Amino acid sequence: MPEKRPDKTREERKKACYHVPIGPQHPMYVESENIMVHLDGETIVDVDVNIGYMHRGIEELMQRRNYIQNIFLAERICGICSGIHSMTYTQCVENMAGIGEIPERAKLIRMIILELERLHSHLLFFGVAGYEIGLDTLFMYTWRDREHVLDMLEMISGNRINYAMPTPGGVRRNLPEEKIPEMLKKLDYLEKQCRYYAKVFQHDKLFSERSVGLGILKRDDVQRFHIVGPVARASGVRDDVRKNIPYLVYDELDWSMITQTGKDVRARVMVKALEMFQSISILRQCLKRIVKTPKELKVRFPLVIPPSEGIAVMEAPRGELVYHGRSNGTDRPERMRIRTPSFVNIPYSLPLMLRDQQLADLPIIVASIDPCFSCCDRVTLLDTRTGEKKKVDETFLRRLRDV
Amino acid sequence: MFEILVYPGVAFIIIASMLYSGILRKLAARMQNRKGPPVWQPFWDFIKLLSKDTIQPEQARPGYNVWPTLGFVSVLVAALAIPIGGMAALSIPGDLIIVVYFLSFGSMCLYMAGLSSANPFGVIGAMRGITQMVGYEFPFLASLITVAVARGTLSLWNINFFQVNYGFLAFLYPFAFIAFFIAIVAKAEIPPFHTPTAHQEIVSGYYTEYSGTNLAMIELTHYIKLFALLALGVAVFFGGSATIWGFLAKTLVLLFVVVVFRVVLARLRIDQAFRLTWFFGIVALVDLVRVLL
Repeated sequence: MPEKRPDKTREERKKACYHVPIGPQHPMYVESENIMVHLDGETIVDVDVNIGYMHRGIEELMQRRNYIQNIFLAERICGICSGIHSMTYTQCVENMAGIGEIPERAKLIRMIILELERLHSHLLFFGVAGYEIGLDTLFMYTWRDREHVLDMLEMISGNRINYAMPTPGGVRRNLPEEKIPEMLKKLDYLEKQCRYYAKVFQHDKLFSERSVGLGILKRDDVQRFHIVGPVARASGVRDDVRKNIPYLVYDELDWSMITQTGKDVRARVMVKALEMFQSISILRQCLKRIVKTPKELKVRFPLVIPPSEGIAVMEAPRGELVYHGRSNGTDRPERMRIRTPSFVNIPYSLPLMLRDQQLADLPIIVASIDPCFSCCDRVTLLDTRTGEKKKVDETFLRRLRDV
Repeated sequence: MFEILVYPGVAFIIIASMLYSGILRKLAARMQNRKGPPVWQPFWDFIKLLSKDTIQPEQARPGYNVWPTLGFVSVLVAALAIPIGGMAALSIPGDLIIVVYFLSFGSMCLYMAGLSSANPFGVIGAMRGITQMVGYEFPFLASLITVAVARGTLSLWNINFFQVNYGFLAFLYPFAFIAFFIAIVAKAEIPPFHTPTAHQEIVSGYYTEYSGTNLAMIELTHYIKLFALLALGVAVFFGGSATIWGFLAKTLVLLFVVVVFRVVLARLRIDQAFRLTWFFGIVALVDLVRVLL
């Protein structure tokens, strides 16, 4: 490892570096993003994160569709956390319309979908983490087990990825109660497998070699940039919307928030591994409770919402997800604003984690924040006369504020 | 002539090495709980690549088209000198040196190919490959020298038939054998030593820029290198071979252990790989010192 030269600033060192583009097309990820890596030998001097390759204008599209059509649009923002997007959206619309309480059965069905989604998202993450350090076997095993979760989601909703379950005021389908014993059996199997994976992450020598002490994100930095979700929890910050601002029936169930103090890649993996057990426990409690609730599934939703504003915050598998909407008395929103966890985590935490690390550790460090690039891109300015594309950055926003 | 061109020469080595890579992929797939490609897949890949266009980047340096073929020829020469089933196509005194030299030269050709391709990923892959080579040549040579000194010969033929008559040298020199095995895993760039071609970091490492016939030659070089290393392992440590069936059985046992390595281990960083290979070099020295005393 070449020695650090404190007499030169990082900017000066950057100029003399070897510049390696990671992305927009790179085998590290299926999604497109660009990380410009400035290398001194194998050591990373600095990285420039350029997002903006996946902008689809979803917020704009939402203003042209009515509240019911938007559920299915919100679901397609992300391929992994599709459920949480549609549920946060419906929660936001309910807040705008002033629907106070939805039936308990609907709440429980929403929670079951959300926690199953967390399970499959975390299992997917373990596979990606294994793949990034060249351990393909872990990838194959976790994705095999992920199929069981997808089977469970299919039992409930009929779909594997986009469940189309919530609707403003409740849910669209009932949970088939005759499938509950089978689901409990699958949960037992998953718990057994998760115990095995947690053991691997905790004790496997090669995995430790490639994860302990890498990609350190300090507690101060987490709070300064408001990093959310498992990344924050791995740095010891107690940040989980399910505990801090409980929604649905999370406050009535028995579970605990997982935090780690490692601040490194292994801590982030361990947070997710231990969260799996909490999710399984929540699912068991929900399945036990749902048979006792009345059969009512939804309350009436007016379709047209008088001018008002609403906000909804939920804990997605990757962190805090915020929907903020405003209605104008028609059947479509005047504005919907979506803030996804990856959008907070990627641009701010990646440079902090990657500086002075080895190039070989870049994939696992990037993967450890479980980035979702399709969630990431919200605002791109396009000058229609010149065709020039511009990203909105801090200085631009400052200028807007000063005008 | 028949011995050089057909059996156990060029034709046999090429077909068998492709088949061995197919078996490796199939075994790895079964261990990872998936179906895997048919064992003949490397053949179809090879034929497909031969029919594809060969693209040369504008900034590529001279030699871009030469290194892959040169690498293939040199590992083939190395494989020809190794006794297979009690026969060797090129059996001359001192063939151990030929094998060691041409195996390393074959690897070096591929790294030179990466350096000449004017691609940042290719250059990084080649630099990693050369660094790793400095690491794994130490246990490789130390273990082979142990056997050469102990038997007092540089002829693989003699070492092979000594084992056929008197049993496995692996039992006599276990430390050297372990070091040798780690070295062949590293030399064949099987996980955990696939740092030079780390897919997630540097795309395909030194052969990122290659396509068509050149890529076919690089793949074939990998196949033959693995086969030659397994054959060398049998000839030097793993009991030798008097018949083709004994040879196949013993190489497949070694291949199985290689696959276990591939399946259960994660990729090492280049500094970790270097440290590990030198550690096993020192392990091999234990036996060398024992032999010299």
